[in-house]
Amino acid sequence: MAAAVGRALTRFLRAYEQRAILAVAAVGVAVFCVLPLGVLLARVALSPPDATSAWSSSRPWILAARSTGLALAVTAVALVVGVPLGVLVGRTDAAGRRVAGLLHVQPVFLPPFLLALGWFHVFGRRGALGSEATSAVLFSEAGAILVLALAFAPVVTSLVAVALNGVDPSLEEAARLVARPLRVIAGILLPAVAPAIALSAIAVFALAFSELGVPMFLRVDAFPSAVFARLGGVDYAPGEAFALVLPLAPVALALLGLERRFVGRRSFAVLGLRASERDRLKLGRWRAAASALVWIAAGLSGAPVLALFWRAGQGDGFAQMGAWVGRAPWNGLVSGAVAATLITLVGLIVGHAVARGLPGSRALDALVVLAFVTPAPLLGVGIIDVWNRPALRPVYGTLAILVVGYAGRYMVIGVRTLAVVISQSSPQLEEAAAVAGAGFLRRLTGIVAPVHARGLAFAWLLALVFCLRDLETAILFYPPAGEPTTVRIFTLEANGPEPVVAALASAHVAITAAAVVVGAWRASRGARG
Amino acid sequence: MRDAIALDSVSLALRGQPVLDSVSLVVAPGETVALLGPSGSGKTSLLRIVLGLVAPLSGAVSLDGLVVSREGRVLLPPEERALAVVFQDLALWPHLTVAGNLGFGLAARGVPGTERRDRTEAMLRRVGLQGSEKRFPGELSGGQRQRVAIARALVHEPHAVLLDEPLSNVDVDLRRDLLELFAELFRERKATVVFVTHDLREASAIAGRVAILEAGRVVQVGSVGELSRRPATPFVQALIDDRALPAREILTGDSGRPQQVSE
Repeated sequence: MAAAVGRALTRFLRAYEQRAILAVAAVGVAVFCVLPLGVLLARVALSPPDATSAWSSSRPWILAARSTGLALAVTAVALVVGVPLGVLVGRTDAAGRRVAGLLHVQPVFLPPFLLALGWFHVFGRRGALGSEATSAVLFSEAGAILVLALAFAPVVTSLVAVALNGVDPSLEEAARLVARPLRVIAGILLPAVAPAIALSAIAVFALAFSELGVPMFLRVDAFPSAVFARLGGVDYAPGEAFALVLPLAPVALALLGLERRFVGRRSFAVLGLRASERDRLKLGRWRAAASALVWIAAGLSGAPVLALFWRAGQGDGFAQMGAWVGRAPWNGLVSGAVAATLITLVGLIVGHAVARGLPGSRALDALVVLAFVTPAPLLGVGIIDVWNRPALRPVYGTLAILVVGYAGRYMVIGVRTLAVVISQSSPQLEEAAAVAGAGFLRRLTGIVAPVHARGLAFAWLLALVFCLRDLETAILFYPPAGEPTTVRIFTLEANGPEPVVAALASAHVAITAAAVVVGAWRASRGARG
Repeated sequence: MRDAIALDSVSLALRGQPVLDSVSLVVAPGETVALLGPSGSGKTSLLRIVLGLVAPLSGAVSLDGLVVSREGRVLLPPEERALAVVFQDLALWPHLTVAGNLGFGLAARGVPGTERRDRTEAMLRRVGLQGSEKRFPGELSGGQRQRVAIARALVHEPHAVLLDEPLSNVDVDLRRDLLELFAELFRERKATVVFVTHDLREASAIAGRVAILEAGRVVQVGSVGELSRRPATPFVQALIDDRALPAREILTGDSGRPQQVSE
C-alpha cells in the first residue's frame, strides 16, 4: 500500500516537475520584479495620493521633459558612436581592434558617475587639461550628454559587434560578390542586426533616463535627482516621492512595448555567441583612418579612468583611503554576489523556458524586461513601499534589501543571457536525456547547466558587474552602515577629500576589473567541450 | 502478442502546416522496421511522436498495448516510456565522459552504482570501446561517437530503440561497418527497432519491413522484395529505380559484398 502511494506520488511529482520548477522561478520574478511595481500601483488604485502638491508646480514637468530629452540625446549620440564602432571592431580589419575594443567597452562595467569624476579631473577647472571654458562645457547639459553617451556607447558597440558575428556568413559572402564592403555593411549587415541595434537603443535610453549620479555631479537638473531629494535629501517628503514617480509607469510600459515590437525573440536569432572564422572585411585605403577612430574611442574610454588613478596618486589618496572606505567594498561585493547568484538561478530556469518556448515563458521574459526598463526611481520607491515595514526589518534593515533591489532590476541579464546561450545549443541534448529516463530537474542540473557552464559563469559575472556599478537603485534604500562602494563614493564626493574620493573610485575600478578577469579566467577553465 | 509500437491514425500539424496525415503503423516485438521517405516527409516528426516529445494532433500511440499519447496529449512523458533514441547528430552530452554518457540514463532510472559500472563496461566492450570510459565525446573519432551513441541507447535495455538517420553523416565504408554492428546488436538483443532513413539500401540492410512515408502519409509497408514487385506509387517505383544496387541485394559484412535478402 505504502509503496503504491509512493509510486503514485512520485508519478505525480514527475508529471508536474517542470511546471513546479518554472513556478518557483516565476515566484522569484514576481517577488523581485513585479511586486514593487504592483504594490505601488495597487496602493494608488486603492487610495490615490495627492499628486497635486507634487505636480502642481511646473518644476516636475520640466524635470521630466528634461530627463526625457537628455536620455534621447544620449541614446542618439551613443548610436552614432556605437554602431560604426561595433562594425569596425566586429567585422573589419582595423588595426588592434580587439585591444581597442576591450578598452572602449570597459566603461560599461563602471558606474557612469565615476567616469564623470574622471572627466572632472581632466577637464574640470583644476583638471589636467582643464580651464574655465572646458569646465563650463563639462558642467552643462551638453557635458552630461557627452559623458553619458561615452559611458553607454559601449553597450551599442558590444551588442552590434556580437550580433554581426552571429549573422550567417553566406548573407555577407553573397553580397560581397556584387558590392563593395561599405555597401555590404550598410545594405546587408546593419539591417540584419537591426534587432540588436534596437535592443541597445532601448537599454541605453532606460539607463540614461534612470541615471542619477552624472546629472547630480555635473549640476544638471534631472528627474531622478528630484525623487532622490524627496527620499533622502533636503526636500525630504516621501509622500511626494511616491506621487512623483507614478507618471513614470507609462515610460516603462512604452519601453517594454518598443522592446516587444522591435526586439523580442529576434534577439535570440542575432545575438549569437558563435566564433566567426570568416574573413574580415578589408578596409583598404580606409584602414588607417578607421584604426585611428577605434583607438580614439579606446582613448576616450580610458582617459577618465587614468585621470582617477592620476588624481588618487597625488596627495596621499591611496594612503588615506582605508580610513574612509569602511565596509563599503564588502557590502557591495557580498550583496552583488548573492544577487548575481539569484539572478543566474532564476535566469537558468526562465532563460531555458524562453529558449525552448515553454508556455508562460514570454510573459516572464516581458516582466523582467519591464523591471529593467522601469526608471530606477519608480522601481526604488516601489521597493521601499513593499519592504519598509516593521515586520520586514530583517530584510529592509540589512544587506538583503540591496540583494532584492539588484535582483529586481538586473534579472533581465540572467534571463536574456541564458536564453541566448541555451537557444544556440541543440534541444536534442535534453531530449536524449528525457528519453533516457531523466526528469526535468535532472535534465536541468545534469545536462543543461553543465553544457552551458560557460554561459552560466558569464551571466553570473555580468550580473555581478551590473550590481557593482549600480548607484541609482541602491542609493534609494541602502541599509544603515550597509552602503555599497558606489554610494560611499557618491556621498563622499560632495564633501570628502578629492584624492581620497579618486582613490576610492580607482579601487572600485580595480575591484570590478579583478572580478571580470577572475570570472573570465574561471569561465574559460570551467567549461569543457 | 501485443504490438510493441502501434500508431493509430496519427496526424500532426506544425505552425498550421500538415506534417502527418492519419498514419497507422504497427511494429511487433523484436521486429526492425525502417521508416523511409524524402526530406520533409514527416519521418522525424513521427519518431518524435513515438518518443513523446511531441503530441499528435489526432490519433493515438500505444506501447506494448498501453496508450501513451492521444488526441493532442502526451499521457506518458518521454522519461517513462523506456525507449531509447539515437538522433541524427547523436546528441552525445559533451560534458560527460563516455561512461558518463552511458551511466546517465541508468542513474536516472535508479540503477545502483556497481551495476551501472558493470553494465557500462560490458556494453562498451560489446561495441569495441573498452578502455574509452574516461574519454569525452570531443576526443573520439566519428565512428567511435556512433558506437557510443548506440551503446548509450541499448545499455538500459529499452522497450524499443528509435534511430533518426544515425548514419547520414558517415562515409560509405564506416556506414557499412556500423550497419553490421547495429544489425548484430539488435539481433542478439531481440530489440524492437524503428530506423529512420532516406536510403533504401540502408533500410534493406537492417530492416525486415520498410514503411514508405510520402508527404506525411504511409503509402506502402512491406519487405524490400514486396516493394520491388508491387510499388504502390510512382514515388516508391522511383526509390527502387534509383538504388545503386538491385532491390533484392543488400550490403553486409566486412567485404561489403552484396548478399541475397531472405524474405
